[in-house]
Amino acid sequence: MGCEITTKQRAGIINPMYDCQPAGAQYAGIGVKDCIPLVHGGQGCSMFVRLLFAQHFKENFDVASTSLHEDSAVFGGHKRIDDGVLTLVRRYPNLRVIPILTTCSSEVIGDDVEGAVARCNKQIKEEFPDRKVHVVPVHTPSFKSSQVGGYSECMQSIFKTIAATRVEPTGKLNVFPGWVNPGDVVLLKRYFHEMGVDATVFMDTEDFDSPMMPDKSIHTHGRTTVEDVEGSTGAIASLALARYEGASTADYLAKEHDVAAHVVATPYGIGNTDAMLKTISEITGKPIPDSLVKERGIALDALQDLAHMFFADKRVAIFGHPDLVIGLAQFCIEIEMKPVLMLLGDDNSKYKRDPRILALKKDADWDMEVVCNADLWELEKRVKDPDFPIDLILGHSKGRYVAIDANIPMARVGFPTFDRAGLYRQPTMGYQGAMLLAEQIANTMFAHMEFKRDREWILNTW
Amino acid sequence: MPMVLLSCDKDIPEREKHIYLKVDGEDSRDFLPVSNAQTIPGTLSERGCAFCGAKLVIGGVLKDTIQMIHGPMGCAYDTWHTKRYPTDNGHFNMKYVWSTDMKESHIVFGGEKRLEKSINEAFDEMPDIKRMIVYTTCPTALIGDDIKPVCKKVMSERPDVDIFTVECPGFAGVSQSKGHHVLNIGWINEKVGTLEKNITSDYTMNFIGDFNIQGDTQLLQQYWDRLGIQVISHFTGNGTYDDLRCMQQAQLNVVNCARSSGYIANELKKQYGIPRLDIDSWGFSYMAEGIRKICAFFGIEDRGEALIADETAKWKPKLDWYKERLKGARMAIWTGGPRLWHWTKSVEDDLGIQVVAMSSKFGHQEDFEKVIARGQAGTYYIDDGNELEFFEIIDLVKPDVIFTGPRVGELVKKLHIPYVNGHGYHNGPYMGFEGFVNLARDTYNAVHNPLLKLAATDIRGGQRKVFLEAAE
Repeated sequence: MGCEITTKQRAGIINPMYDCQPAGAQYAGIGVKDCIPLVHGGQGCSMFVRLLFAQHFKENFDVASTSLHEDSAVFGGHKRIDDGVLTLVRRYPNLRVIPILTTCSSEVIGDDVEGAVARCNKQIKEEFPDRKVHVVPVHTPSFKSSQVGGYSECMQSIFKTIAATRVEPTGKLNVFPGWVNPGDVVLLKRYFHEMGVDATVFMDTEDFDSPMMPDKSIHTHGRTTVEDVEGSTGAIASLALARYEGASTADYLAKEHDVAAHVVATPYGIGNTDAMLKTISEITGKPIPDSLVKERGIALDALQDLAHMFFADKRVAIFGHPDLVIGLAQFCIEIEMKPVLMLLGDDNSKYKRDPRILALKKDADWDMEVVCNADLWELEKRVKDPDFPIDLILGHSKGRYVAIDANIPMARVGFPTFDRAGLYRQPTMGYQGAMLLAEQIANTMFAHMEFKRDREWILNTW
Repeated sequence: MPMVLLSCDKDIPEREKHIYLKVDGEDSRDFLPVSNAQTIPGTLSERGCAFCGAKLVIGGVLKDTIQMIHGPMGCAYDTWHTKRYPTDNGHFNMKYVWSTDMKESHIVFGGEKRLEKSINEAFDEMPDIKRMIVYTTCPTALIGDDIKPVCKKVMSERPDVDIFTVECPGFAGVSQSKGHHVLNIGWINEKVGTLEKNITSDYTMNFIGDFNIQGDTQLLQQYWDRLGIQVISHFTGNGTYDDLRCMQQAQLNVVNCARSSGYIANELKKQYGIPRLDIDSWGFSYMAEGIRKICAFFGIEDRGEALIADETAKWKPKLDWYKERLKGARMAIWTGGPRLWHWTKSVEDDLGIQVVAMSSKFGHQEDFEKVIARGQAGTYYIDDGNELEFFEIIDLVKPDVIFTGPRVGELVKKLHIPYVNGHGYHNGPYMGFEGFVNLARDTYNAVHNPLLKLAATDIRGGQRKVFLEAAE
């Protein structure tokens, strides 16, 4: 009995769980308003990632490419960076931020991105003396880390460039939620509003769920402004909700601008949300309001109907972003499920020392395995093993065929969830998120009981 | 002034050479848009890379083949779950993707050992699969990994496996088109003629340039079965690796997508003397014409006429129901290249639709020659269109429906314009007689979607906009 932390033994990958660094960097970049990330690499590096975002959010996002070709491979691609930046500045008069994201190809070629930034700044100043466009160098070679690290890297680079000087105290709280859905951002903003805390969410992706308007105006873009980023250096503190996605930016602000950094457990489930709210309360001196006590109660009331009746002892496999997987495992334990398999999909060596994983290891009284650097074949092999029964899979849509072929109920959660409608709108964080996820899990299991005619009559009277 | 400089392009005036407005009475040979040229950096083009042209479009369709991508995980992740090409063996091709997961140390010290290990692992993990295509990517090409000797070594150690290599990094060429070419030429030179299959009919052909999008290949296969023609290989819809090694045995190469696969048909003609016959598989008139041409080649005209008569009787009334209701609808086509000329006249003739603007991501000169010849005056023909150009063109031509990809579809949704997936289809197949009724149905349901009228309504009152005004 107990938790074993292992690493995939194969060198290669069969069905990757994450995309590469530039993909994560693009996700961070589109969270900024009036920003178009420029991917310095082949055209596929941006085209497919834009498609991926479109699949998940059912929205279009602007990401540009330097369209690197053979001539750049031989002679260097500097000119294409300059042309790309200037073309964007000229054609998009409201543009204020251009993160230049490197890729495997441009890093191997060894293009001097910092030099290109200096040249572009000079050129922009000459051509548009009244405009300030922040050109941000972001080093995200695809052969390092993954989309998880790329998200973090781009976030940090944007702050290093734009939040370079310290501003007067703002009284605001910086919040780094990590790679979450618009539904989570809306929930967090509501929580801060209800607590009377003036907070800035980085990145504010609320409008990644955007309307069809009578006047045909397009509102699909990040809401984090240049001013928001500049103001971060004057905040009372930073609250990082995801250790691997954005916490490094909180660390940067602490180190360079003395903004205290608080890294809390990612608020999936009741206990983690409690801890987050207590930390916010301690930082700001604001009490936790009655409205959230009530919301917590409603969530517990709903979970209580499900936990020991349907969820108890169910063996769950979880894959996806590391902070999500760990948080969901903790939540599973709250609702009496047994997380028996957790898959983390890149070679970050810190996962094995994550205090949350060490705590799970200490407390687990059943067999649990955490597979690091995992691919989805690790999931599929175990799911196909008759000695390793799995009752439920929690993860994103890239693992859908594992569940379909093995006929195991799977609740979609994380990124991407393109094979289910509207999940990006739903929070997973907070009390409400925990409740909605549990209900989604329950309904997935109920539909499966009916489909398999497996004690579906239990629900006759539930 | 047939070449058009859009106002959004004032800072990139070279774009004028890529946009043509057809005018009556002009000799369009003088005004062919420049195509297959490098994209201007930072323009938000729609283009993909050469690697995806090889892996995602052609190689990855095969139903029995491991697709080993020698590079970082992203190249594998990104070319997975983006296509709708089912197979009759449970969609093995859409379920899996393989990567050598190149990390920094392998970039520094070379990735050949890692490739060899990953190949062996893949065959070990999936012991029923004996065929593989290995692709290089940007970084493994740049560091000069020599993949062919690695694959030869594995093949010598595993006599029951066969491996094909595609050396086509993403930065090669100007678009996915380069990848099509590399795979075509590599395959004919290295794999065609290495196997023979049993011939079961007096009439044999290869069907080239159809990728079984939502079952296109399987639908057309019913026709070939009824005509008694043995299809030696499908390049590559629902196809197998070994069938494609037997392409030399066919009497005729029938080509649908000339852009992605015309190269191999030309080589089969040059190297084996097998004639090439190009057909259009979308549209009633075109499909009938294609069947007639094929049957004429084999001297089985009677069978062809019987098939066309049967299919027409079955599907024409349904098509006409839609034609009556789609007449005059304005369509834009923003896809890869060939579908522009495959579709513009077929939707016009068979459905009464007017195609008002077309943009090609990776078409070449001959694609534009064909589409401008087949298309109407007053229509825009655009090479490598970008996002701001799309907005401006929409204002100019006011389409009722756009055939394009899902991402652009999401964009034009905000402008109250419905899209139909011009790559993976909405609910296909779209080829053949039955397929074109599907296309008509999806187009009709898109154009007549009641939500568009609601979207145009401002509930605060004021100037109410009705359905067609959304596009006026």
